[in-house]
Amino acid sequence: MKPRCAAIFGYNEYSKQIVKQISSTYDNVGVFVIDEAEFLEAKNAGINAGRFDLSDDWQSFETQFDVEGLIVFCALADDAENVFLTISLRATFDNLFIIALAQDNESMMKMKSAGADKVMPILQIAANVIHDILSKPIMTQVLHDVLYEDSLLNIMEIEVKDTSPLNGQYLHDLHFKRDFDLILLAIVDQEMGTTFSFASKGHNHHIDAGDILVFMGYADKLNVIKQWNSGVRV
Amino acid sequence: MLSRWVVGFAFFLHTCHFYQRAKIFFYNLLENQNYKYKKSFDIFMMGLIFLSVYILVRSVKHEIPHGWLIFNNFVISMIFLIEYLLRFWLHGNSSKVIIEQYESDLFFHRPFSFSSALRTIFLQKIEYVFSPTAIIDLLAIMPFFHEFRLLRIFILFRVLKIFRYAKSLQRLMSILATKKFEIFTLIVFTLIMIMVSSVSIYVMEAHNPASKINTLFDAVYWSVVTIFTVGYGDFVPVTHGGRIVAMMIIVSGIAVISFATSIVVSAFTEKLDEIKEEKMIDRVNTLKRMYLVCGFSPLAHEVIRKLHKHHVPIVVLEKDINKVQQARNDGLLALHYDSASLHTYSHLKFDFEHQIEAVILLHESDVSNIYTALTIRELTKRIALYSVLQHPENRKKLFLAGINHIVNTYELVGMMSKIIARQPVAFEVIHALRSEETSTIIDEIILDSQMKDRFYALLDEPLFYQRFSVLGIYSTQSKFFHFNPHPDSSIESGDVAIVLANRGLIEEFRAKLHRKGKS
Repeated sequence: MKPRCAAIFGYNEYSKQIVKQISSTYDNVGVFVIDEAEFLEAKNAGINAGRFDLSDDWQSFETQFDVEGLIVFCALADDAENVFLTISLRATFDNLFIIALAQDNESMMKMKSAGADKVMPILQIAANVIHDILSKPIMTQVLHDVLYEDSLLNIMEIEVKDTSPLNGQYLHDLHFKRDFDLILLAIVDQEMGTTFSFASKGHNHHIDAGDILVFMGYADKLNVIKQWNSGVRV
Repeated sequence: MLSRWVVGFAFFLHTCHFYQRAKIFFYNLLENQNYKYKKSFDIFMMGLIFLSVYILVRSVKHEIPHGWLIFNNFVISMIFLIEYLLRFWLHGNSSKVIIEQYESDLFFHRPFSFSSALRTIFLQKIEYVFSPTAIIDLLAIMPFFHEFRLLRIFILFRVLKIFRYAKSLQRLMSILATKKFEIFTLIVFTLIMIMVSSVSIYVMEAHNPASKINTLFDAVYWSVVTIFTVGYGDFVPVTHGGRIVAMMIIVSGIAVISFATSIVVSAFTEKLDEIKEEKMIDRVNTLKRMYLVCGFSPLAHEVIRKLHKHHVPIVVLEKDINKVQQARNDGLLALHYDSASLHTYSHLKFDFEHQIEAVILLHESDVSNIYTALTIRELTKRIALYSVLQHPENRKKLFLAGINHIVNTYELVGMMSKIIARQPVAFEVIHALRSEETSTIIDEIILDSQMKDRFYALLDEPLFYQRFSVLGIYSTQSKFFHFNPHPDSSIESGDVAIVLANRGLIEEFRAKLHRKGKS
């Protein structure tokens, strides 16, 4: 099994938190900075730090990481530099999974255009949370526990395999709540591109191999459906 | 003996609950612009003034029913008299003056000087009696003495009394009051011009039989009409000397008008921002519920944009005038005040308990947010405080400052990174549901114990079946979230169902639940 690696560009409050959160999940986490002072600060904090510039020389980067299966966080403080970094990485590495931070929606669109796979619009995320705490405090607390705390409840996405019993079924013929004690939140249909539709829309969706289903449920039940999807009889 | 009785009576009044409450009530009614019944009272008084003026003007050439005259001469005038006496009573605090004098004399081992106290009270009252508004009030009562027909001219003072009740007129007067010196200079300049021109035209014209200007009064009248560029033409100079004077006066008249206009315009220009601010404060004070946002940062802009969907007014407090202007350009109710200052709240007179739903602290520094939180906590312990946290190490300080809910964007981004790296699609789904950018949302429905059967029965209706997901029920008593509840699960009053469905469908579900609940 290949080691799971993550590279984070920029050393600021955001990247410090990213390092803190993902260190336990990844075998190798590296931080790349432009500035010498940031480099020394990261080194002093015991982080595996490296230098980079915004030219197209990615040799040192490639020597440190196997870009296959690598996940990259573009977290530079300046949005313009972050867009440039994203587009530079995408121009060099076609299959790199890039997550970029954007200050607002305007920058988010640019990041997406630059080739980021996922963009986190910081202002919108914070505003959503503040709004939700004010208007739907209980829902916010429940979701927070499910997503970020060590709760028994979790969310999980599973990709439908060719051999999966789910392949070829209609959504309305399946009773995840009754049979698995799980709630299906959304489906990403491979035929319809990467956009997802919510299970509660009422469409009797035809599930094909490659579709991604997003479930919410207890960890043990999620494991059951994960195994079932991979063809194991449960 | 009298002194002791007076002091005793003063102490009695000072501690009499009923007396003090009555005094506060009348003070609020007559003077406190923020008192809820003040506006109604002002409208009532203005109505009386207009009615009174109408009756008296109509009586000049028409027969007025006797009842109307009685109403005008006695009822309206009596109300004005009572108002005058109430204002007279409220001006100063006589019992306090007596007590202070008594305590001061007692401290210095002197006999109580009743005359000193009386003098102070007299000076306070006389100050009121000779104030311009009180004089107008008193003269406005004069038409009461209907038998003195000449006094009916005092009806004019009833019109002037409107100044007391119309806030915009008060504002106009206060603006002009800032230009006292300029207005005084203008008046002196105009009077000198009238005097000089009157004497000049009289000297030039009075001796000429063809001229109509024969008296000094005619000359003054002509001068005033000419200086103020009216020029009726009923009096015209006929001599060369008189016409030269006229030409000079006409040119000077333009200067007078220009000077007067410039004074008024500059006074208004200087006070324009203040007027706008006052109007905005008035508007804010009329709001029954609102969110108070302290600090207009880019995050505040985004939070407000989202909160607008709830149709709850939002008031922004920001001390940077450029940001205030930016917020106003966005159509927000933004006030140029320091949210961390107690003076701000004493001036704005917010009712924290009833008017404000929540205070959201969105300054770009933890220091400002903590300082603002402490200021608000000095005023009220009850209001919910929400704050953004800039540096994680300050979290405890924010809690100590009394902030109930803290949001740290750095931590949020860190936690989300973990999810997004492991389950990017799941992250997208949750983000889309939370941002309410799609028609499907996650929402809360508050339940009561009576709704249990109906709640589960509704889920089986064709409209909701397969389209309405109940993620779980949160028990407010046990603080436990029952995921995917069984139809036999109990529901207690105040429990909250977390549901996932189309926005419209959730509304329909809520309505049906409520409708059936009533039947």
